[in-house]
Amino acid sequence: MAQRVINWLLLGCFFVAVCVGCSLIWGTQYVINWLLLGCFYAAVGVGFSLIWGIMNIVNLAQGSLLILGSYATFWAYSVLHLNPILCGLVAMVALFIVGWIIQYVAINRVIRAPFLVTFMLTFGLDLLIANVLQLLFTGNFRAISLPLSNEGINIFDARIPYLNAIIALIALGLTGLLGLFLSRTRTGNAILAVGMDRDAARLMGISLASTYALTFAIGASLAGAAGAMLAVTLQFSPIFSGRYTLFAFVIVALGGLGTPWAALVGGMAFAFAEVFAPFLPGIGFGLDIGIAFVVLVLVLILRPNGLIGRPFYS
Amino acid sequence: MARAAPTEERTIVSASAPDTREWRWSFGIGLGILALIALVPLLGSQTALSLWTFIAMYIVLAQSWNFIGGYTGYPAFGNVAFFGIGAYTIALILQRGIPYLLGLGLAVAIAAVFALIVGLPVLRLRGHYFAIATLGVAEALGEFAASKDIGGPSGEIFLNPPPINYRISNVLFFYAFLGLALVTLLITVWLTRSRMGYALVAIRENELAAEALGIPTYWYKVSAFVLSAAPTALAGGLFAYWQLAFEASGEGGAFDVNISVTMILMAFLGGAGTILGPMLGAIIIEYLDQYTSIAFPAFHGPLLGALIVLVTIFLPQGLIRLVRELMRSPAGVKLSYTTRFKQGVRRVTRFIASNGV
Amino acid sequence: MSHASSRPMASEPAASGATPALELDHITKRFGGLPAVDDLSFSVHPGETLGVIGPNGAGKSTVIGLVGGAIAPTRGAIRFQGRDITRMTPHQRAQLGIARTFQIAQPFAGLDVHENVIVGALFGGRLRTRSEAARVADEVLERTGLRAKARLKGDELTVADRKRLEMARALALRPRLLLLDEVMAGLTPYEVEQAVRLIRDINQSGVTVVVVEHIMKAIQGVSDRVLVIHFGKRIAEGTPQQVLSDPKVIEAYLGERYARERQAQAQPQANEGDAERAARGEGDI
Repeated sequence: MAQRVINWLLLGCFFVAVCVGCSLIWGTQYVINWLLLGCFYAAVGVGFSLIWGIMNIVNLAQGSLLILGSYATFWAYSVLHLNPILCGLVAMVALFIVGWIIQYVAINRVIRAPFLVTFMLTFGLDLLIANVLQLLFTGNFRAISLPLSNEGINIFDARIPYLNAIIALIALGLTGLLGLFLSRTRTGNAILAVGMDRDAARLMGISLASTYALTFAIGASLAGAAGAMLAVTLQFSPIFSGRYTLFAFVIVALGGLGTPWAALVGGMAFAFAEVFAPFLPGIGFGLDIGIAFVVLVLVLILRPNGLIGRPFYS
Repeated sequence: MARAAPTEERTIVSASAPDTREWRWSFGIGLGILALIALVPLLGSQTALSLWTFIAMYIVLAQSWNFIGGYTGYPAFGNVAFFGIGAYTIALILQRGIPYLLGLGLAVAIAAVFALIVGLPVLRLRGHYFAIATLGVAEALGEFAASKDIGGPSGEIFLNPPPINYRISNVLFFYAFLGLALVTLLITVWLTRSRMGYALVAIRENELAAEALGIPTYWYKVSAFVLSAAPTALAGGLFAYWQLAFEASGEGGAFDVNISVTMILMAFLGGAGTILGPMLGAIIIEYLDQYTSIAFPAFHGPLLGALIVLVTIFLPQGLIRLVRELMRSPAGVKLSYTTRFKQGVRRVTRFIASNGV
Repeated sequence: MSHASSRPMASEPAASGATPALELDHITKRFGGLPAVDDLSFSVHPGETLGVIGPNGAGKSTVIGLVGGAIAPTRGAIRFQGRDITRMTPHQRAQLGIARTFQIAQPFAGLDVHENVIVGALFGGRLRTRSEAARVADEVLERTGLRAKARLKGDELTVADRKRLEMARALALRPRLLLLDEVMAGLTPYEVEQAVRLIRDINQSGVTVVVVEHIMKAIQGVSDRVLVIHFGKRIAEGTPQQVLSDPKVIEAYLGERYARERQAQAQPQANEGDAERAARGEGDI
């Protein structure tokens, strides 16, 4: 127990040191950007992490589900004129339903097959969803601009945009809620049980089909939440679906499986690479995906369990 | 993150063992199909020639993937990287006036070395990680070519056509691809009978047991990977001089991940790890693909996606194994074809259901 | 039976002073914090059959994994015929002549029984062509009684046959040292007898055998010596008779309270009964 506390303290000190160091070298603005981006990326990765950790499925459709969430938010905002946070909620509910259906109808049929089968299936779903979105809405980039978009507070010489800060808080909140849900509620515990030993869980009366569907639905709705965040801060288009799937993968590989907070660690680490790697000589900007992959391959080779990975989701 | 117990880490192939005489049948049929395809130029249609050239190209890609993905059980998602390397090598050497054939040899050599260098770290990974890592390599290469303006702005290539009448060159490229397809077929057949083939199948089925039996698994895996790289790179090199214009990533690019997935889907549909599977899958899918691009261009993407979904749910073992399983009779018992078929249908439906919850 | 092999057969059971076939030297293996094997040392003499028993979870399979090379020790050294193999990969050890079976018998599903054995002969057995390997496979199948089932596919075999296939595959390597990991678990008494006969036959042809089991009766039938492991440590070693009447062994299998009660009564007949009960496979066995 004491060991764990010490570990967390050390991690905290290291983290603070990095923040201060980077502030001094490149300026506080970049550190702010990094931290806020890291929280957003936590939201991007946490749904993916849940699906992978519990069902051992790499959901290649995560990116297109995220973009679907963006469209749902956009629609709720421009057609229903709802408050942006409610729009996000709409997106989460819509994605929950979509996720449930996908799992129940398609993925549940191949869940005991060798992994390549599920891999290809989710890839096919990704292709399907992204292309249908493109057919319906074209590949044009859209964004939601809110009156709040340009407001922020200034500390030192850096600016913290209100919007990004709120998003970051929401992302942290969702991650925490997921953790609580999994460990404190009966349904959450059922999900964890299925993740540890599905046959034993089944023998104890837990319905695998529904639990899987629920897990995927939650993962999808979290993707929807991330999509909502994307819609209000940056821009989105079906073209981005592959990019966000890749990002989710890297984030989870970096952080590890085992707890929703790993997505935060991974998100922070990945955001760090994205914000600061362009400063390395010869890299420059525009190599987002390349950086992501290099980071990924390095992690897989050097630390395949991720930074705080655990053998079972808990 | 090794969570699965040994029995859970199943591989692509888990159906019946092939009859040792079966390879002769498969080889013969394969030769027959290639011979038939060889007659296409006689039709005199440029569209048909183009279609079947693409089909031949995909046969090469799918069969090459089969070496590492089907036989060894390591599904590489980034083989398009070798294709792109071949294409860009040719583009660069042609822009510098180096003879084409020499360039092809260079393309193969570079791809092989690349496969070796990448394979050494990446083949230590398993399952999802290996797949994504290889995918990553391909994507990164594509992005690299585009952002560093390799061969042209944003990696876009425009080459001068070969100094021959275009009709003749189209026919030449057609036969070049077909010849390469024949070579990959020969390699596949050799593989099923050779020492290396046994090693690869053993690695696929049970890598730990394979090691315990004295197989140096690491080296065989790397060899299979390099073996799959060579014909793929050659295909890329042929593609470059044939199409004369291409880009790095994006739709139809030399590093387009869709090419990777398509070649896997083809091998999958036909039957990964079989002799004829990739060829069959390539013909069916590429034909459908070209047809839908012309008939319903907008639906091309979603159709491919839907096809993948359906194949993975209902045909995870591929067509060849489906046919084999439908017509199998239990050991030593002689049954009529109808009984075999009926039993086969039941067995197959049970197998598909066993993949589910 | 003389085969075209580059490796000579192992010699007769050695006189003392000969290099042990296998030596574990202060081997420790930790998984996370827990030691599965804890400072274990023992030797196996050439040509003998060593039985390794212990309650479930005692670390017996880990020992096989360590010797076979699938698991690397946290500390300690392993020597095979005097040669340090601690750093060698599993396939290198197989090439030296160490063959092992796996607890969960998983034949190569894409191949039939005959071809499964061919794989072993081709690689560990160091043969060049398929036809040579096929001949060795035929002999091995004959010996293990699987000749009639040579063309069956892996998933068409019974549990007993799968275990025999594991052994056949290992034998195709022409091993000097054979490690058997619970080959008799899940077998009927008749099948156990068959397995015992097969193992004795293999041992008599000059192969050193290490048998890990948790069925007492099976061990008695094959072993020259028995090693008892509990919580990763050696708690007894000797002939089957010696080991079965060792109070520490009884305590490990039947529980502390029972052993203490028996000790308290301190009657020779009572101790005899314990050994017999243990032999019949009752208690925590």
